[in-house]
Amino acid sequence: MATDKELSDFLKSVEKRAFKRTVYAVRSDDSALDIVQDAMIKLAEKYADRPAAELPLIFQRILSNATMDWFRREKVRNALMSNMSDFDAAEPDGEFDLLETLQAVEGSLGAESASDALSRAQILRLIDAQVAELPGRQREAFLLRYWEEFDVAETALVMGCSEGSVKTHCSRAVQALAKALRAKGIRP
Amino acid sequence: MTTSSRSTDRPALEARLGLRLAGSLNATTASLPPDVAERLRFAREQALARARDVQRAACAGDRTTVGISASGALLLGGFRPWLQRAAAFLPLLLLLAGLMLIRQWQVREQVLAAADIDSLLLADTLPPTAYSDPGFAEYLRSDPQP
Repeated sequence: MATDKELSDFLKSVEKRAFKRTVYAVRSDDSALDIVQDAMIKLAEKYADRPAAELPLIFQRILSNATMDWFRREKVRNALMSNMSDFDAAEPDGEFDLLETLQAVEGSLGAESASDALSRAQILRLIDAQVAELPGRQREAFLLRYWEEFDVAETALVMGCSEGSVKTHCSRAVQALAKALRAKGIRP
Repeated sequence: MTTSSRSTDRPALEARLGLRLAGSLNATTASLPPDVAERLRFAREQALARARDVQRAACAGDRTTVGISASGALLLGGFRPWLQRAAAFLPLLLLLAGLMLIRQWQVREQVLAAADIDSLLLADTLPPTAYSDPGFAEYLRSDPQP
């Protein structure tokens, strides 16, 4: 059973990422704050007796469900329909080089000088904007897999889909981000 | 790098790039507006307070059960919902019993009324005009009694 301090520490560690992840989905700070608060309270009410190690997975699942409930309530059909774009055909291999994009991102984000710092801030904003532009399911898979650092099975559990779908969503999300960054001129 | 080696390394590259891009989101998340950070802190404290309330309620529930057991009233406490449910059907049972009594009383009254009419008819004298009635004449002809 998680102690009061463990629950507090967990919520403190996850609250900002949860807020950001929800903002990406609902595009509203106020709604995202409400959803995160509801998810936190539900976790505290129903699952505070679970071991601390189980809390991240449970919380992300609650947050996903709370976000989906928000969409149902608001009847934002367009946001749900955007998920359909996940079925679009993937770019064929070799259209662009992931390694070059990786090197460009690592080079840009590792900058030290003042001008580079400005460039770094711009790139961070650009990445932030491009993540927000991803289709819903791709973004969810990307954030759970690479930001929350869940493994494929855990991500599939939270998303309620197969592990294969998670891999596909993640791959397409990274491809889309790399392509968008290269289109914005981030090259080695 | 050959095409085959690129395709082999692709999942690893995707994972590295994904982690790097997602890691960069921490920088933007760390600098959330103060009002957002404050609301998140408030939400966290609300959730923790709720968790403490739930724990307290659970502990209080345990203590109540023990108290009832100690006072010897656990049986009553345990059976009260069952008795309450059964008592809810009592008015319905009374209503059905009343309707059946009323029906019995009405049948008995009808039987008694018919018996009174029959006895009056049998005890009364036969009017002379009855012999001119074709139905009565037929009745007399079909009477099996000697």
